[in-house]
Amino acid sequence: MIDGIMNMLQNHWFWGFLTIACLAWYSTITIYVSIKGAGDIRDMLRRLARAKSANDKKMS
Amino acid sequence: MNFTLLDGSIVGVYLLVTMVAGVMVRKYVGKVEDFLVAGREMDLYLGIASLAATEFGIVTCMYTAQNGFTKGFAGAIPGVLTFLAMFLIGYTGFCIKPLRDSGVMTIPELFEKKFGPRIRWASGVVIVLGGLLNMGVFLRTGGDFLVNVSGMNPDYLELMMTALLVGVAVYTILGGMLSVLVTDFLQFIVMSAGLIIVTFLILDKVGWSTLVNTVETHYGEAGFNPLKNESMGWSYVIFNALLNTAAALTWQTQIARVLAAKDTATGRKVYTGTSFFFVARFLIPGIWGIAALAILTPEQIGGNSLLAMPKMLAMLVPAGLMGLLVASMLAADMSTDSSYMLTWGSVIYNDIMAPFRKGKWSEKKGLFWNRTIIAIIGVFLLIYGLWYKLEGDLWTYLGITGSIYLSSMSILLIACCYWKRANSWGAAAAIFFGASVPALTLILQKVGPYTEWFKTNDTVCGVATYVIVALAMVIGSLMKPQAKA
Repeated sequence: MIDGIMNMLQNHWFWGFLTIACLAWYSTITIYVSIKGAGDIRDMLRRLARAKSANDKKMS
Repeated sequence: MNFTLLDGSIVGVYLLVTMVAGVMVRKYVGKVEDFLVAGREMDLYLGIASLAATEFGIVTCMYTAQNGFTKGFAGAIPGVLTFLAMFLIGYTGFCIKPLRDSGVMTIPELFEKKFGPRIRWASGVVIVLGGLLNMGVFLRTGGDFLVNVSGMNPDYLELMMTALLVGVAVYTILGGMLSVLVTDFLQFIVMSAGLIIVTFLILDKVGWSTLVNTVETHYGEAGFNPLKNESMGWSYVIFNALLNTAAALTWQTQIARVLAAKDTATGRKVYTGTSFFFVARFLIPGIWGIAALAILTPEQIGGNSLLAMPKMLAMLVPAGLMGLLVASMLAADMSTDSSYMLTWGSVIYNDIMAPFRKGKWSEKKGLFWNRTIIAIIGVFLLIYGLWYKLEGDLWTYLGITGSIYLSSMSILLIACCYWKRANSWGAAAAIFFGASVPALTLILQKVGPYTEWFKTNDTVCGVATYVIVALAMVIGSLMKPQAKA
């Protein structure tokens, strides 16, 4: 596998580099976004619940 | 066939979790703004997950894999161009900054401020027409993939995709953009896991050298350099650069993330943060397509290069992993369907129905109408996309329906944000030519003395559309007498 990668980088450096960068970036970002995104959802729902309750109070 | 009970269980658990999560967030929807743009509370990482999941459906996977199969690595060049467009637009805030700053919920709403209510309405019609016709073919293509990859009886295709659409429609109708964002997040994780694991499996089983040698043997230098490829060339590259820039600026599902972001800076970061995903969006299925070219015989492919990739996966992916693959592709399709239904529905409610909404509607009435519109879109998709079989070339169909909308709306948006002299005459001319030039191209590909030329130079016609629409905007605007100060 390593030979194949080295061969691709030597002969077709653009696509070789892009494929490696793509797989490395996508694997990393998936884990990072999964962790941070869960926090985003929690905060978003908390803010919306607060706004909804304030709105309900105003209406009543 | 490698689809076992274990795989079915994986798919079942995934569907159950997604549906429950999508339905649960409905209680946070109190206003139309919550429903359409998640109360503008979307933060960066949720935005990245949602945009990536939405912009990758089974239909995307099929065509990008076909590009890899028929053009080699060079077929991934549209992904590189999309990455550049997304990154530059996000980094500079070109158009998306004034759009988000204006506080509108849809692009036509911004147009009304500059061009008046008629242009807002006409823009809404063009956006919905192009978008829904484009989306109309997603279900069947998705079903074709699932049937080929899992070895399922094709007789159940309609039934399976109907059930899937009903499930997606239920949580989208109940929770709007909130359900879309939360389910997109789950779908992003499942989809990405499937894409990455299957790609490493292919690289391990087929090998890097085999993939490179296959492209060299079949296509030579043209498989790596789009400018040396007879089916691509400069016009292909320029057309794709224009198309992808226009999509980044105005494609409703992409721009909805900017409008749902908690502020302008977050919206811009969602674009820059997601930009490199668009390389993966073309390159990863492209590698799958090249793998299909490497290991399948012409008899196995059966003359339809579109189905080569799923046939290869059915041979290569073992039981257990097959469940993850099917779940990931269902995730890709569900996230796309839900977002498309919601965002095009938002234009129908916000812009096309605007002249009929006399007086201020209550939030309850607004929510009712938004939910009804999504249900109607769902019915349209079932009838048009699944039960009605489209004749002819699907790729041409997607290109034409997309161009009808993208060329005119992108020019209108740029002029609206940055050209003081732009006015309703120019906007009307741009919309007219944006819709008629692609339609005329399609007609000239079928009838007349130059059908062959129009068929082989479709990307030249595509570039010409953008030039003509820009000229129409400039000439039309200059022709309108200026109001006296």
